[in-house]
Amino acid sequence: MAPLLEAISIGKTYPGGTVANDGVNLSIEAGEVHAVVGENGAGKSTLMKILFGIEQPDRGELRLDGKPVSFANPREAIDNGIGMVFQHFSLVPSFSVYENVVLGSEPRTGIKFDRQKAIEEVRALSEKFRLAVDPLPPVGQLPVGQQQRVEILKALYRNARILILDEPTAVLAPQEVEELFVAVRALVAQGRTVIFIAHKLPEVLAISDRITVMRAGKTVGSVNAKEVTEQSLATMMVGREIALRVDRAKGRGDLACEVKALKLTAESGAPIAEDLNLKVHQGEILGLVGVEGNGQAELLEAIAGLRAIADGVVYLNGEKLNPLSTLERRELGLASIPEDRIARGLATGATIAENLVATRLADKRYVRNGLLDLKAIKAQALKLIERYSIRAGGPGYPVGTLSGGNMQKVVVARELSEQPKLLLVNQPTRGVDLGATQFIWKSLTEARDGGAAVLLSSADLSELLALSDRLVVFYRGKIVAAFVNSDDLTAETLGTYMLGLSRQDPETMRAALQ
Amino acid sequence: MSQNSPSRWAMIGRETGRAVTAVVIALLVALVVILLTSADPGAAFQTLLTAPLSSNRTMGLWIDDVAKLTLTGLAFSLVFQARQFSMGVQGQVYMGGLFAALIAMSPIGATPLAIPVAMVAAMLAGAVYGFIPGYAKARFGASEIVSSLMLNYIAILIVNYLIRAHLAPQGTGQLATAKFPDTAIYPAILPGTRFDLGILVALVATFVVWFLLYRTNWGLKLRLVGHNPKFAEYSGIRSSFIMVSAMTVAGAFGGLLGSVFVQGRAFGNLAQNFDGNLAFEGILIAIVARSRPLAVPFVALAYGYLRQGAQLMGIRTDVPTEMISVVQAIIILLVASSFSLPGKKFFANLLGRKTTPAATPEAAK
Repeated sequence: MAPLLEAISIGKTYPGGTVANDGVNLSIEAGEVHAVVGENGAGKSTLMKILFGIEQPDRGELRLDGKPVSFANPREAIDNGIGMVFQHFSLVPSFSVYENVVLGSEPRTGIKFDRQKAIEEVRALSEKFRLAVDPLPPVGQLPVGQQQRVEILKALYRNARILILDEPTAVLAPQEVEELFVAVRALVAQGRTVIFIAHKLPEVLAISDRITVMRAGKTVGSVNAKEVTEQSLATMMVGREIALRVDRAKGRGDLACEVKALKLTAESGAPIAEDLNLKVHQGEILGLVGVEGNGQAELLEAIAGLRAIADGVVYLNGEKLNPLSTLERRELGLASIPEDRIARGLATGATIAENLVATRLADKRYVRNGLLDLKAIKAQALKLIERYSIRAGGPGYPVGTLSGGNMQKVVVARELSEQPKLLLVNQPTRGVDLGATQFIWKSLTEARDGGAAVLLSSADLSELLALSDRLVVFYRGKIVAAFVNSDDLTAETLGTYMLGLSRQDPETMRAALQ
Repeated sequence: MSQNSPSRWAMIGRETGRAVTAVVIALLVALVVILLTSADPGAAFQTLLTAPLSSNRTMGLWIDDVAKLTLTGLAFSLVFQARQFSMGVQGQVYMGGLFAALIAMSPIGATPLAIPVAMVAAMLAGAVYGFIPGYAKARFGASEIVSSLMLNYIAILIVNYLIRAHLAPQGTGQLATAKFPDTAIYPAILPGTRFDLGILVALVATFVVWFLLYRTNWGLKLRLVGHNPKFAEYSGIRSSFIMVSAMTVAGAFGGLLGSVFVQGRAFGNLAQNFDGNLAFEGILIAIVARSRPLAVPFVALAYGYLRQGAQLMGIRTDVPTEMISVVQAIIILLVASSFSLPGKKFFANLLGRKTTPAATPEAAK
């Protein structure tokens, strides 16, 4: 029997000469969960865009049920039973769940939108596939995990037989990932087929039946999930042995940064975080644990000078940071890797060189008498591209042309090219491939060994556990637990505090906070 | 540079291709309008295409327009690069024109200092006028679009009032000042035409704006603010200072255009409504030039040609003057939309390039 969906020696070259796919083969059997893994820039997204009709292949052929097909646009792919859930959702936040699901193919009576029928259909669909979502509330009020299910419902509502999930777990907390997997298994049990794109190998191994590995625009091979290990998959992806272990700090130095009784409020005056007390020493990484939206990100913004402090004090090496501007804080040795590289960390339309120099425009080496020293800026950019092995055409290329991992390397290169005293890091490896993750982790530990006090926030608990020397857990804007990292500390333990299920006694917490 | 940045020539080629496509389509639409309204469409169309080159005088008209379009295009490019949508060039032109005229009519006007002093006065006036909406935005969060548009009306009406009530020669009833002394009027480069100092001013201004944007610290900060204001804030760039200063500097170029208007050979005096809404066409120039200062004069050259051709067609042929405005508006519409809308595939289809029929959203409908 022919496979359900087949891609045969697909080739795609983008205008500008980037070869995204070069002889890619993919074969999907009906009723399986098929993972496609590979580093950023390996060509996974391009392949998925071709399967979904967003891009057309230059070479090669797609076959559905053994018959050659070509999709000129997503509409045609949808009509053929293919659905896709993107990493960035396309939902209308102010519309309710059912409205979002049926949008564009609403049930009607005459010319009237039959709301009752829509609600019933959506409810039936969500029960059938165990995607517990209430059809009525506005999508904007739902947590990310639920929004993702709305996207999946959208595809199912349009009778998708094959569902492509583009890095579905990148935005989810551990418990939500588990729930997503329940839903994926329900889908497969009911005869649907799932294509799952991912970076995180433990998840891939947990959910998929078969795995296709891509590297540098080519397919390296397809394997059964049962027959491989994390290590062997990683080797296939990167093409060499990699180690995802990090050396811990050898010992910590003097107190570098202290946060005292800090209070943060939203513009409306609603409290975001209260009574935050932290100490970070030179040469240690303090992990900020918490489900997103519990105040960790805001704390980092406040220290960086990007958010007003309602009450309390932040000290860096004895100096009060509160009255200082962002630039003055940077001059004291503060560096920061922000949560969202595209929204905050880079100017994607500007060149790599310009992005790399953007935080040093008061530096005599690059700017004299108000004039740019283009030679020095270019030389510095070339040096950093080399040192951080940023894969790019050159310093004159816009940052927006780089892959996610390389963009993040630009941010890391800029922030760490000079040894910081205090380093704020938020989601350093979100949407970044394995090779780049390894590199970024190494850069962070090097900064730590160089004497930086590091505050690290991440949605990836394994990242926090791998890098942190101490960890504090945030829940509803308060620190509810603190730990000295050890091999006994598990993600599950942290999880109970993250979700507010348990609370540490003040004595234990104080001991770990010192 | 070539191996370090994407090929510049390929980019220039692509952009030029788009501009030419838009112009060709605009001309086709113009041809339709002419066919519908003219008794002798052939002659009318030929006038549209060739009239600007027909004599030294018409060449002067064209180049005069190019100078003015370049300056307004530069002023808009500056604010657009900082992603500010200040529409205030027209107001700055009037304020600049007013102060240039005041200098020209003062005792300084009769000395050799008349031109430089008047230019500086015009630039200062324009800068102040550009600063106001910028400051209002930074300080009070006022939308620069609204405040700058309102300031345009204020400037035009103040200037018109001053001319009528105070500056026009008493008792003549004319709505313009008397001619300035010769020392205060730009010297002609080609005698007897409008080909004057203005074009040199425009070219120098082009270089200055390019230098400011691409060689100075301020320009880099300005462009970074324009690319991503949140990134600028995070990098420690004071976006509000950059925003206000960008609008102020752009205002200076708007003011300079005021001087080019009133002291140029086209006028040589201050008249009511002297800019004929040309100031606004800088938006189009800046869009097509993608706010790149070095591209601005070239776009102005091409657009000024069409503009002048259409005007001469209005004068020399039977195409009704209303239709001239229609053709001009269509040209603006087409050129601007081909640069701001994702119509690339549509044009590719029109040009017969290979794309599957259903590949464009237009065709799928």
